[in-house]
Amino acid sequence: MARKSSGMQQASISEFFEKNKHFLGFDTLPRSIITAVKEAVDNALDAAEEKRILPDISVEIRKTKKNDELMLICQDNGPGIPHSSLGKAFGSLLFGSRFHSIRQSRGQQGIGITGVVMYSQLTTGKPTKVISKIAKETGAVSVNIGIDTKKNKAIISGEKRFSFDESDGSRGLHWIGEHGIRIEARIKAKYQRGKQSVRQYLKMTSIVNPHASISFKLIDENNEVLEEDRWPRGTDVPPKIAKSVAVHPHGLEIAILQRMLRSPSKKPDNADPKIQRMTNLQYFLYKDFSAISISKSKQISQASGLYNREPQRLKFEDAQKLLSELKEAKLPNPDTECLSPIEDLLIKKGLSKAIDSRFVSTVTRSPMVTNGNPFQVEVGLIFGGDMPADQPIQVLRFANRVPLMYQQGGCLLTKALESVNWKQYGLEHPGGRGIPKGPAAILIHLASTNVQFTSEAKEALADNSDVMHELEQAMKEVGRGLRNHLKKSVQKKKAKEKFELVNIILPEIHDKVIAILDEEPVPLEPVITKIMNAVFLEEKVEWEPETKVTRVSIEMYNYTARPRAYSLLSTWPEREGVMMVDNPLGGRREAKGLWVWKLETLDPGCSTTLTFTVGGLAKGDWTEIDIFFRGAGDIIGATKLDEAILAEMLREEEASIEPEEVIEIVPMEVNEVKVRVEVPNEVPNEMPGEVSPDIVVREEIRQPAEPEQGWFGIGKGEEE
Amino acid sequence: MSATQRKTREEVVKNLHGVAREMYKRMAKGEAPAMTLPVRTKNNIGFDEKLGVFKYGSKRSIRDAKSLGSARQLLRALHIIEFIEEMIDSEKSSTLREMYYISEGWGHGKFGSQNESNNLAEDLEIVTKCLREDFKLRPEEDGSRMIGNLTLDELNRRGEWMRINARDDVGDSGYGVPYNVETEKIRLISHDIKFIMAIETGGMFDRLVENGFDEDFQCGLLHLKGQPARSTRRILKRMNEEWNLPIIVFLDGDPWSFRIFASIAYGAIKTAHISEYLATPSAQYLGITADDIEAYDLPSDDLSSKDVEALKAELSDPRFADGWWQEQIKMMLSLGKKAEQQSLAKYGLDFVTDTYLPEKLAEIGLAP
Repeated sequence: MARKSSGMQQASISEFFEKNKHFLGFDTLPRSIITAVKEAVDNALDAAEEKRILPDISVEIRKTKKNDELMLICQDNGPGIPHSSLGKAFGSLLFGSRFHSIRQSRGQQGIGITGVVMYSQLTTGKPTKVISKIAKETGAVSVNIGIDTKKNKAIISGEKRFSFDESDGSRGLHWIGEHGIRIEARIKAKYQRGKQSVRQYLKMTSIVNPHASISFKLIDENNEVLEEDRWPRGTDVPPKIAKSVAVHPHGLEIAILQRMLRSPSKKPDNADPKIQRMTNLQYFLYKDFSAISISKSKQISQASGLYNREPQRLKFEDAQKLLSELKEAKLPNPDTECLSPIEDLLIKKGLSKAIDSRFVSTVTRSPMVTNGNPFQVEVGLIFGGDMPADQPIQVLRFANRVPLMYQQGGCLLTKALESVNWKQYGLEHPGGRGIPKGPAAILIHLASTNVQFTSEAKEALADNSDVMHELEQAMKEVGRGLRNHLKKSVQKKKAKEKFELVNIILPEIHDKVIAILDEEPVPLEPVITKIMNAVFLEEKVEWEPETKVTRVSIEMYNYTARPRAYSLLSTWPEREGVMMVDNPLGGRREAKGLWVWKLETLDPGCSTTLTFTVGGLAKGDWTEIDIFFRGAGDIIGATKLDEAILAEMLREEEASIEPEEVIEIVPMEVNEVKVRVEVPNEVPNEMPGEVSPDIVVREEIRQPAEPEQGWFGIGKGEEE
Repeated sequence: MSATQRKTREEVVKNLHGVAREMYKRMAKGEAPAMTLPVRTKNNIGFDEKLGVFKYGSKRSIRDAKSLGSARQLLRALHIIEFIEEMIDSEKSSTLREMYYISEGWGHGKFGSQNESNNLAEDLEIVTKCLREDFKLRPEEDGSRMIGNLTLDELNRRGEWMRINARDDVGDSGYGVPYNVETEKIRLISHDIKFIMAIETGGMFDRLVENGFDEDFQCGLLHLKGQPARSTRRILKRMNEEWNLPIIVFLDGDPWSFRIFASIAYGAIKTAHISEYLATPSAQYLGITADDIEAYDLPSDDLSSKDVEALKAELSDPRFADGWWQEQIKMMLSLGKKAEQQSLAKYGLDFVTDTYLPEKLAEIGLAP
């Protein structure tokens, strides 16, 4: 069991806090309130996520009579915390209690809510009031929590129990539902507006947490609401839970391998014969890494010539040999269950609900590995609307769904943005340097089990060529989406102008001319054909609120002198649960997501309309379609179908239907959970090459915690 | 003497109908309606030996209804034609600005900006060979003002001819030149002056008036108000032709002043269709010249990038093709400086009338 270091200087906790407040996020007054909000909101989100609750979070900041003192009130509908655990959850400050287990978590980026309690106590001398309600109890409990900095223990006072509804009281917040937490902390801080504000932080949080409903109020000392905002829930699907997994061999570092070799997993006595036959080294490879099957473990250990050696006895050179074999081994990608990307559609929803605009292009890249840690990159680009066109685009950076608000310039995410040549994708990018300009905002999200920051302030991501490469690829992909969109917009605008010209202006010219000259009318059809001399196509994709279907109508005009015959093809979001509900012209499925209709011959000067409706989608899910055609001549507003690309699509589709190659998947055994505990340095630094010289990282094996009651973090190594 | 023959009402209407007729013919043939116009850039103006001014060359552009923008222009032109006919019939006139506002009711034919309506009125002048006075359209800009011992008759609102002496019958602000200075409105009666000095800025005009320059030098003073209005250029031309008076032009020393002079002496690019009617080829540029900046050590400003651009454009402008202008432009470019008329005040308020102008006038033989 991980034990708190006896050597830790208890009395220095507040001193430690004071000394390190810059990387704990409490270095300036404006930042302190953001950090406090962030800790409270992160915890609320994490807790709700674990219990599959859709979070409702309200944040209130109240100005007080005292200058530079704010009251932070954060309330959620999470599972709540049992009365007996409140002290532990809020009152013990254990630095390093945020473990870097191989799993994506928000918590990597903060000190935790205890830091807020601590900061409150240090700056205003006030305890933090916590009201909690759990489902199985009928009443709520309210306590005041302070910290005994000598014993590093919570001091709980003023305990009250009451029926949940009563706790509403004068504050004007309403409890809805069965459970939740409310925190009221008075801290020294300053509220600031703008790019680095609580409001911006919450807005960004809501973008990457579309399953959450978040509200914000700023209230002055006279109870007047100064600012108010709400970001409603965009989806009812909570993000998938990130699972803990073992280390993936690719990109593993020698120091980590050496450390792992020192305490390898041992074969259980009653294991099945297949396991029993394995050597200890083979079992170590099989057991302590992810993505290594039994046969692979044999292959690697034999190739390294270390098959029969004991892991603990391996020398440095042996470890190096093993490492190179591990790196060269062909292995499946790391288990991505440990990552929780937001995913395309939800990024789209998140961005659209926060920023009013027309076009969103999103990309969720496949998970990759760097230094043994899986990571995944996501980028969303939103364009148009009211955003200013002559300003640098808005950059929204996130690491594991947590907004990064400071140090934009030095961050890997920004560097990747700047390295792409945005000019070719339709944004202004003077000199190809710096942040591109245009009416756009870009969301950049790195999900990883181990986010590397440039400094302890944890606001800027450190350089990493693998991540950089993925980011660039993702940005180019959204860039291509934008370029297509812009190209289509230009085409559409041109077509629209032509329509206005022949349908409105030309008849008016004609009427004026014959009125001035007092002449007989002349037929305009030949003139129109002369002016247009093309086939035009106009499409509309509309959401029908009553019937909850998406209706597409495609209107085609033949403004040429000859009859034209075409087949039209349209993209549509074919997937499970999405179907064509009305399609009067029939047609047939050409490929996945591509439908084709053969149109009757269109005579000169005539038009025809093709409509179909698609069900199973939500509003805003599908707004842009691509239309292709087969036939002679060009259609303005559609693209000639490239048969070679279609054939390629069909081949891929066929291939994906075939049963996949069977890969031996070894289920994780769950009776042991691997955790890493960072403890203050009490033993001599015995492992060279560690990241931080002040902290040793020890691996501990412990039984899985009792079913996690926790609201956050409890049972992750904070045992007494 | 007016170089262009004024048209009768019937001729004006007939010419306007010609524009609609071209469109009608094209539509009847199944073609896009269009208007044919000379190209109105410096690349299509050339010196007309006979008239002694710069006129449009032979380059023509066809404005046809194949793009939305051009189609709208045609529709607007038709609305203007209809509007002019109505005004001719009802014996009314309107300002260009009024027409711009009236176009609010023209639906898809309404103007996007005042500039657009002005340009279209000019287009119609060109294709119909009429003047905007024939169209009953008045400019918004006010004309210049004049001071000096010259006498003219002006037809007032009541239809009476009023005799005005621009020295004895006016205050310090001088005689205001009306927008129409044709013989039906203004008659030049008599004068006792040796030349007319046209001045760019109001400040300099007032300085010369205050210093009694018109009396001392026996001349007329005219305030151009920047780029001169048509009526200003027209009255200069009439005084030059009818009274045989030299026109001396006194401007700031910058690329834009060069253009003002060119429009007075050679004809403006925008109005090259009526250059023979507006331009005074014998007008002389007195200053500020590029060499004045050095010779008089005048306080100056650095040329802006726009100034430099303008000077470079002037180098290839046929109106500035003669050696003296090429020299002046190149000198200003190499100096990198420009100077205002009023910078002469560096040497005192009387310097311009006591020293600078006498010296400059002596150079061209006009000293008192």
